[in-house]
Amino acid sequence: MLCRVADSLFWMSRYTERAENIVRLVDVTHQTLLESENSSEEVGYQHWKPLLRSLGDEALFDSLYKERSSYNVTEFLTFNSDNPSSVYSCIAAARENARMIRDQISSEMWETLNKLYLYVKRADANQVCSEINFGFFQAIKESTLLFQGIIESTFPHELGFEYIVCGRQIERADKTCRILDTKTYMARGDKQVDETLEAAQLAAILRGCSGFEAFQHDFSAEVDPLLIKRFLLLSRTFPRSTLHCVQRLQGAMHAISGCPTSHYSNESERLTGKLVAKLNYSTAADLEGTKGDKLIKEIEDDLADIASEMSKQYMGGGIYDPAAELTEV
Amino acid sequence: MQIEYDHTGFFDEMFEKDGKPRPHYEGIFQRLKTLSTAEFDQKREAVDLSLLQQGVTFTVYGDEESTERIFPFDLMPRIIPNKEWTMLEEGLTQRIVALNLFLKDIYHEQKIVKDGIIPAEVLATGKHFRKEMRDFSPPNDIYIHICGTDLIRDDNGDYLVLEDNGRCPSGVSYMIENRNVMKRAFPRFFPKSGVRSVLDYPDQLLKTLKFASPNESDNPTVAVLTPGVYNSAYFEHCFLARQMGVEIVQGQDLVVKNDFVYMKTTVGLKKVDVLYRRIDDDFLDPKAFRKDSVLGVPGLMQAYRAGNVGLANAVGTGIADDKVTYCFVPDMIKYYLDQEPILPNVKTWLPYKKEDLDYTLENADKLVIKAANEAGGYGMLIGPKATKAEVEDFKKKVKAHPRDFIAQTPISLSRHPTYCDKEFDGRHIDLRPYILYGDKVRVMPGGLTRVALRKGSLVVNSSQGGGSKDTWVLKQDK
Repeated sequence: MLCRVADSLFWMSRYTERAENIVRLVDVTHQTLLESENSSEEVGYQHWKPLLRSLGDEALFDSLYKERSSYNVTEFLTFNSDNPSSVYSCIAAARENARMIRDQISSEMWETLNKLYLYVKRADANQVCSEINFGFFQAIKESTLLFQGIIESTFPHELGFEYIVCGRQIERADKTCRILDTKTYMARGDKQVDETLEAAQLAAILRGCSGFEAFQHDFSAEVDPLLIKRFLLLSRTFPRSTLHCVQRLQGAMHAISGCPTSHYSNESERLTGKLVAKLNYSTAADLEGTKGDKLIKEIEDDLADIASEMSKQYMGGGIYDPAAELTEV
Repeated sequence: MQIEYDHTGFFDEMFEKDGKPRPHYEGIFQRLKTLSTAEFDQKREAVDLSLLQQGVTFTVYGDEESTERIFPFDLMPRIIPNKEWTMLEEGLTQRIVALNLFLKDIYHEQKIVKDGIIPAEVLATGKHFRKEMRDFSPPNDIYIHICGTDLIRDDNGDYLVLEDNGRCPSGVSYMIENRNVMKRAFPRFFPKSGVRSVLDYPDQLLKTLKFASPNESDNPTVAVLTPGVYNSAYFEHCFLARQMGVEIVQGQDLVVKNDFVYMKTTVGLKKVDVLYRRIDDDFLDPKAFRKDSVLGVPGLMQAYRAGNVGLANAVGTGIADDKVTYCFVPDMIKYYLDQEPILPNVKTWLPYKKEDLDYTLENADKLVIKAANEAGGYGMLIGPKATKAEVEDFKKKVKAHPRDFIAQTPISLSRHPTYCDKEFDGRHIDLRPYILYGDKVRVMPGGLTRVALRKGSLVVNSSQGGGSKDTWVLKQDK
């Protein structure tokens, strides 16, 4: 497989996953806003701030918008093409990657992504942002899930498939960490959080990962910040938990190299194995307080390193520079 | 539906002078008659939506809002009876054979110049003559493996050659997609209409490309070299690669080592035997041609000359589709093949000759003047339709660089019923058949019929408001 094709498969998958996660976050934040009694735009923004921070987008938002309002954040996260991680930008980027390798993917895959792109491109941004069109968000989630199903059932389960899995799992693990970050920022932002609102926020975090029901099933307990961390970081069965994601990532990575998981054959495999072990052998106590916050940060950094090592190993990242060749003349 | 319209004043593809449909159009005429406008619109909208969702699009440059558009498709097919096609097939074969002999000659002994058939200055001043090709013989002496010759019909319905596209002719994917769309739109009528299939084009292309391999191997590795996703024909490059089951590569995916060409794969380098390159000569190799090219592959030309990789088409074929060289194709046919040309050229003046320059300048308002090395309908003056200022402006350009221009009598291209603004009306069309030259010459029975959708317009290029039709070559005469 061409390095460039591997790269495009990886990023096509990663961007689709990212779009889906942003949609989940926007959707869920709006749902929590409905719980809030004071619905002024200013109070609304307080709900968005932790999310913007955890995505690392606060500065960009402020540079693009004069007013910090709920409407503007929704627009920023959903439609703004100057925001590289807006839903629109992610879907456009996923489609662009798919377009580059149209000859490699199934036509159903391409058409699903292309339809999704046309859907978002033609949506009435004003209507979506002011009326809070949950149907719009739902449709995007359904399309991205459909896309995954189509990959599963129309794309050969060989090398290319594993790159898709890698892209998806790295992105998903990362976004789960970032969703947990929002809790950290919330706690810092506001000292006297009212209890009902906190419960709503915690439930929102779980819902953002479609994990509310699974959480209840595992713990049947009241939502508690520590339990949520345990669930979202360490669950062995929940498909969006970080541990589950990195285990899947490890499997796909070793399927690519053919090296057994008991060993490693390159740097990205070594880092992934280390991360799996780190999560696997963490206890509830490791997740408490600032220790827990630190762990989440570490995981995010590890994931970034893994992605960059994978790119070096397989996707031509830095292997060959045509310009260097030219200067020889 | 009403199909008839005022078809006088031009050669009409469907209607005889007396208003009756020609025999080979009888079937589709009757079929469409039975449709209501609403039914027809429904088919049309379904077709457009499917083309858009499949992304059968081309890119329009310099248009910020929507850079991808579908190539407008007209549901009324263009039909060519068998006998007419047989003649075209012979004419096109004759032409591609002569052009290849010409290329071999001018890059070796240049007998045609020595014998005084073509003036030396035509080659010397040709922008696309590549000195790098001198004394080099590509595999099997084939230079143009894939050719797309543009044909038009005049007032009498006689076919004329407008130009030979011997570099990277595009549009063949639309020929195939148009056929697929047509079959879906008329699932019951189509099988009865006796149309020859064009759907094996990718197989034939692959066969042709494998034949261009210089390396001895039963199964040479072929790849399509594209400038990338932002190229207007990227859809086509991908489409062909997929249909042939070969890799599509960009310059950055290839590397030359010890004069062999390799693809960079996730498990290391893999040797490439043949490149179907859709990049112009200029950008192919920054070491040999334009230094600033980031699309090409450094060292590719060296690998080619070393006989380690095949290129289709060969480097330097541009000199054969230079519009000045075009004028000499009938002479080439006589010279190399000792045959009479089956397909005539459009009457052309060459301003680099003194007497032709005088004629061109005097009659600029009556002529079509074209830049010798431009494509896509750019750099062109349609004298009878231009303003005085435009004509004067063009005359200045021609005077300054006579070698860069040709002048032709305007041909009132044939018209074809085309659905525009809720009714059928006559629109001007041309035809681009595709010819493959491998172990033998194969002319695809069909091609891309382009139609100028603007009323009265003679410009059929997609970049200038053109559309396309499915082209039916019939197994029989009607």
